[in-house]
Amino acid sequence: MTIDRARFDTGLTYQAYKAQMTRNRDRLEENERRVDLSKDDLAAFRALPRSVNVLVLAEDWCGDVIANLPLLGRLAHDSGKLEVRIFLRDQNDDIMQRYLNKGQFKSIPVFVFFDEDFRELGHWIERPASVTEVRAKRRKQIFAAHPEFGSPDAPVDQLAEDVRVRLQGELAKMRDETTKFANAEVVRELREIATRVAA
Amino acid sequence: MTATHKVKITYCADCGYERQTLDLAKALMLEFGAQLSTIELIPWEGGTFEVSVDGELIHSMAREGGFGSSSVIKDAVRARLS
Repeated sequence: MTIDRARFDTGLTYQAYKAQMTRNRDRLEENERRVDLSKDDLAAFRALPRSVNVLVLAEDWCGDVIANLPLLGRLAHDSGKLEVRIFLRDQNDDIMQRYLNKGQFKSIPVFVFFDEDFRELGHWIERPASVTEVRAKRRKQIFAAHPEFGSPDAPVDQLAEDVRVRLQGELAKMRDETTKFANAEVVRELREIATRVAA
Repeated sequence: MTATHKVKITYCADCGYERQTLDLAKALMLEFGAQLSTIELIPWEGGTFEVSVDGELIHSMAREGGFGSSSVIKDAVRARLS
């Protein structure tokens, strides 16, 4: 399976992808509004010597897609240097099989960067490892500060419903508090790949 | 006889696991009917897919991997009903 211009062009544009979403479009668009790109990052993307094609695998139920696809959408819109085409993961398994996370997981989003001749510059999967690490650490801290939540490794169905709801609130707050860091890490990693394009 | 056995299925709502959750719930409903007092579906996060019977974890995606075979999970439930 190779990705060429003909296959790439069958993907959805960012706007077309949003239009066909059956859920979470409001969350995705809220995240898009909240993206705060630094001048330096934006300048780096605007300074790309040529346009970069970015193939995306996504589904609208996925939290990491809802969090991270808007960053790519804003980078494409604000820089004018990224051509984005989105493919639904579950309808494009041939592409998914090529970009499995750790060779086995169908993690999304996947962003694959190609130059104008469709030579791959690099690809990016799901979320930065640094974000997973920071959030795991913060999660442990939440459990340490709230003995009523029990062990972080115990099944949550053992918690009383009111306790479970409080835990869910604490985890949502933690994710919100780490969003700025997470977004900066995503942009840093995408910039590193995009700027591999030759002049 | 009054059924008191509770099954809970905790699934990651951010991961698109609804279909597998509903398929398993349906399989348990059809297999055990009124022998179960409750089948509770708990939307969660972090890639979770766990099934417990009366507080005992009988399948975990983190522990066993995957969604588990419906027949294996039904056998595990049956063992706890007898």
